[in-house]
Parts: sequence; structure tokens; C-alpha cells
Amino acid sequence: MTTFDLLLQQTINGLSLGAMYSLLALGFTLVYGILELINFAHFNVFMVGSFIAMGTLQLFGLHGQEVILTGMPLALVLIAAFTVTMVASGALGVAIEVLSLRPLRNVKGPAAMITTIGVSYILFNVVLLNQGADAKNFPNPMPAKRFHIEGATLDLRVILIWIVALVLMVGLYLFVQRSKMGKAMRATAQDPEAARMMGVEVDKVIITAFFLGSALAGAGGMIFGLYYNFTSFIIGFTAGLRAFTAAVLGGIGNVPGAMVGGVLIGLIEAMAGQFIATAWADVIIFSILVLVLVFKPAGLFGRLAPQKS
Amino acid sequence: MLTRRCAAQFLATLALGAASTVTPVSRSWAADTVLKVGLDCSLTGADAESAQRVRNGVMMAIEEANDANAIPGIKLELVTYDDGTPTAGQYDPAQAATNARKMVSDRDIMAAVGPQMSGAGKAMAPILSQGGLAIITPASTNPDITNPKFAEQYRPAGKPIYFRTVTTDAYQGPNMANFFAETLKVKSVYILDDSGAYGVGIADTFQKQAEAKGIKILGRDRLDPKAADYTTILTKIKSLNPEALYYGGVGQAGVKVAKQSYDIIPNVIKGGGDGMYGPAMLTAVGFPAAAGWYATIASPHLVGDTKAQAFVDHYMGRFHSPPDDYTITAYDATLVIIDSIRRVAASGKKVTRDAVRDAIQSAKVSTIQGTVSFDANGDLADRTVSVFQIKQDPSARPDDVSRQYTYVGVAPQS
Repeated sequence: MTTFDLLLQQTINGLSLGAMYSLLALGFTLVYGILELINFAHFNVFMVGSFIAMGTLQLFGLHGQEVILTGMPLALVLIAAFTVTMVASGALGVAIEVLSLRPLRNVKGPAAMITTIGVSYILFNVVLLNQGADAKNFPNPMPAKRFHIEGATLDLRVILIWIVALVLMVGLYLFVQRSKMGKAMRATAQDPEAARMMGVEVDKVIITAFFLGSALAGAGGMIFGLYYNFTSFIIGFTAGLRAFTAAVLGGIGNVPGAMVGGVLIGLIEAMAGQFIATAWADVIIFSILVLVLVFKPAGLFGRLAPQKS
Repeated sequence: MLTRRCAAQFLATLALGAASTVTPVSRSWAADTVLKVGLDCSLTGADAESAQRVRNGVMMAIEEANDANAIPGIKLELVTYDDGTPTAGQYDPAQAATNARKMVSDRDIMAAVGPQMSGAGKAMAPILSQGGLAIITPASTNPDITNPKFAEQYRPAGKPIYFRTVTTDAYQGPNMANFFAETLKVKSVYILDDSGAYGVGIADTFQKQAEAKGIKILGRDRLDPKAADYTTILTKIKSLNPEALYYGGVGQAGVKVAKQSYDIIPNVIKGGGDGMYGPAMLTAVGFPAAAGWYATIASPHLVGDTKAQAFVDHYMGRFHSPPDDYTITAYDATLVIIDSIRRVAASGKKVTRDAVRDAIQSAKVSTIQGTVSFDANGDLADRTVSVFQIKQDPSARPDDVSRQYTYVGVAPQS
């Protein structure tokens, strides 16, 4: 492989990682933009999402990588599995909001954030008890089709990951920019009190933010499974931390910022692994984060958060 | 899949912050003295399944001894400690150290079995040494712990307390390098490890011997076992075009290395140590990705052996799943402890930790793997390393280690 091929291959690897981080970062950003709350439960909503996806694919009779589907059946199975996973993960997010965060809405201080850490551990341990600690072989019905671009290889499933991530992110962006609910979300993010006075139902906005963020995390979890062919109760922490970093890097609360931040983190991880050493990837990611925060404290794209009166 | 009992144990562990669970092995008679045998293994996390098999092996040996009244007047009770934590996702050295303290403070514990993991062993050894408690590991293979060079660190109280019924990575890594060079005729290799004590150690010893054998080392890198993505490093390896990949480490990173290397470097010869030996490789990696991997174990291959057949049958009848070679080394370790306590009791002396340690040091016990005896540092006298290769046997259960791993032979000794 020439240096160019390597760069190309690592860019492909980095973009796939970045797509996953972006989807996950959006959930942090949506909730933070509206509640100014860092939702640590999000880490493990992603993990639960991958288990929901695994269960759904198994319902279609898929186990391991031995059953391969093509054409229409593949598309239908994947669409069905993505739908079920996203709706169920979204519902989980809403349940977390309603059961554990709403009662704390008017409590000052870090109580809500600490609650999300607690919820995160509950999800983590429930899956551990229920599914066991060993890594799970994630069903993958996609054919192992590969395309060669110069000396680099591009998997069919990688293309699918990009397409799904792009569709979801563009969809979210359009929803936030164009729809009435999106407008209400932006209004609440800007000034919750004024939004309430203008007749925006803030609780509905919060629930929508949790649903959308968690649904995207669920989709991210399913993409994780399809990309790596495995899942485990522990996957939420590393991916969640990097995605959170991506959200901060892009400017927390900022939707396009989260998308770009995710892709950047993915690319940095891949290039650091290639040119320095994998063991240093985290050091480099977090050093860059520190540098960005020192020189641009609001992140690359500026931070959007509720204005305090 | 975990059994309900195991799940209940997880729950107890989580609730009490990894407290110990006492398993009453059999009802003890009023007239008998009850002595305890400790066990430390990684029941939470990625190595839970092999930990369960180790525990089963120890439990069986103790049950059999109690039922046969092997030590007249003494009944043994097993106390299990879990060194895995949910946050580590595998063994946690801090938890292992806590367990060692708990073992030492329980005056009824005469000797212990465990741990599985060298990282846990390094944390436990100094504490056990100060407490004068002997432990026999059925699986941890890092040579430092028993190396006299590090005596100050791992046995500050002087006498060896860390014994093994397996050999060490001082043989496992180099013998595999010999196998790569002599049997597989490998000319170039890339080496990865998982940052753990075991993984780094075995990769180091492999690397040293591979260099000595004239294999070109194209690179060495360290993986974060919690990260999901190794495509970056595997792409780098692909660009260097090595003939072989050696991975030193346990399953948490190993499963992902196996899965992703199948996609990126399918035609490279891949091998690892005993961390790559076990059902997790088969169920979590699955076929076809797992096929072709070489793995070693630091003991003679016993499960397929006729000597072990009675044990395997008995085990299957009791636990309804197949044992592996480290179940046998755990069973053997327990036999050594039982025999040592028996000899101390028979000599008329009071059964103390110190007396049991001395008895273990001088043991010559007939076990499933043959006669077990230890050298002056506590290492097993027998130094056999066995090599296996994963080859799919569709007629067997996918997680049946004895059928999906084909025994290749004994790795060449240096």
C-alpha cells in the first residue's frame, strides 16, 4: 500500500467511526441545548440500542454472520430493525426523562446530572445481569461486498453506515430548522421562559429532544453492531466519552457542530493510530479538545445554550 | 449465557461491592473441624465464563474430598471472591487486592486457588505473602510473579506463596515463537498486546524469542481493551504486509482483534496465547472469523486425553457443559491443596497456613495432568505448552472448545 492508499483507507475508517460518534453526539447536544444538562445516561442508551437491534435481527432468524440476505429482503429487514431500534431507544429516552429527570426539573445544582450517571449505571447493570458479560456475536445479514478504490477497500456496510448516518442527520437538521416543533425547540433553547410565555409547551419540547436524541443513539448502537459484528454491555463508555468530546468540540448545543465534531474525532482517531500509535489516540483526542477549549471556549461552531435571565 | 445462580451472584456482588459469597459445599458434621479454601476468579466481566469453569473445577474437587472423607476429621468449605468489576469489564487489580486482604483476614482459610489473571496475581501476591497464605493459580502465567528477581516485590515475607499448576509465559510466548519459526516457517510478524500484565508480558517474551529465531519484527503496538475500533491499527498492519500476527492478551480485546482482522488481513497467520483459547472466541467471534487462529495453553492438553475422560464425563454430568484445560488445572490445584492439608493433619501437627504452605512446596501429588510438583520458586516442574488451531466442526456445539479447537501438538521447547 502506498502512503496515499493508506491515507485513503484511514480516512474511510475514520469517517465510519465519525458517523457513529456524530449520531451519538447529537443526543448530548439536543438535550444540553434545551436543559443545559449533560445526560450521561445517553452513553448506555446507545449500548441498550445495540442490544435491541440484536434482539430484533434475531427475531428475523438471523444469528451470527452465516445468513446473508440481498436485495429487497435485506432492505426490509434493515429498515424494520432500524425502526424498531430507534422507536424503542427513543421510548427509553422518554422514560428516563419522565421517570428520573422531570421530578428534578426545578432542583438547582448538579442533582439532575448525577441522576443521569445513576441511570447510566442502572442500564449498564440491567444489561449485564440480563445478557451476561461476554461479548455477543451481532447478527449481520449484509453481504461482505467490497469495492477497491486505488489500494483502499470500501465495504458495502461502510457505505450503508454513511448513508444511514447522513440521512438521519440531515433529517434531524431539517426537523430542527423547518418544523413547528423544531422552531419550538430552538425557541426553548434560546429562552425557556419567553418560549413558555409565547405558548410553547416546554415539557413536550423536552420529551421530543429526549426521544430524538435517544433514537439517534439507538441507530448509532445498531450501526456499531453492524460495523463491528459484536456488541457487549461495556461498549457505551468509550464511544459515549468520545461522542461527548465531539459534542463539546463542535460547540455543545449546536447541531451541525456535533456532526462535524464527531467526524473530526473519528478522523483524528484513525490518523493518530496510523502515524503515532493506537495507544496514544485518546491522548491526542483529548489534547486537541483541551487546545480547542483554551482558544475557542465555545467550541468550533459556538455553543448554544439557554440564556440565563 | 449466565445461569441464574451466577446472575444471583452478580447481584450479590454488585449490591455488596464485591463481597465474598460462601458456598456451603456439603453439610459438615458437628465433630469435624471446618477449614476453608479461598478462591479468587473473575466472575464479572469478559472472562466470566472461564471463571465459572474454574470455580466448578475447584468445587468438584472439594465436594469429592468431603464425600470421600479424604482428610479424616476435617471438612473443607469453599469461599469464592470475585475480582471482576463492572467498571473494568474484566478483572480489576484493585478488587483482587481487596480480595487478598479479605482472604488473609479470614483465619480459617488455609490456602487458596486463583487468580486466573496475572494482573490480579501481581496485586494479590504481596498481600498474601505478608499474610503467609499460599495460593495456587490454575491459569495466570506471567513469569514475574514467581521470578526470584522480583522477590522483594511479590513475596516480601520471603517464602514463595504463589504456586502454579500451569507453566509460565517464560515458556508460553517463546515456545509459540519457536512454533511460528520452525513449524509455520514464518519470516515476519507484527505483535499486538492488550496493555494488561499478562498481555504485555507474553508479547515481550514472544518478541524476544522471535527475534532470536530470525523472524523480522515489523512492529509492536498496544491496544486499549475497552476501545471498540482496531481497524486503524489493522490497516497499518496490512500496509506492512507481515506473514503473521501475534496477539498477546485476553478476550476483551482479543475478540475484536479476531473479528476485525478477518475483514482487513484475512490471509495473515494469526496466533495468540491462552487468552485466545476458550469459548468466548467461538461464540463472540463466530465463524468464519475465528477459523484459523492459533492459540496456546500453558499446560499439557488434557481434555481429549483418556486419563481425563472420567473427569470430563463427571463434569458434564454435574454442570451440563464441557470443561476446558484450565478447569482441569483448577481441579488439580485443589487436589494439591487437599493433599497438602491431609499430609499436615496426618503428621499430627496443627493445620496452619504456614504448615500447609510448606506441604504445598514439597508436594508430589498425582493429578489428572500427572504428578504435580513445584520448583523452589513455586513454578510447575512440567513446562509443556500446547498449541491449538480453531477449525470449525459443524457437527459439534459452536462453543465446544474441545471440538472447535484442534490440537496441533506440543510447541517446540527452546
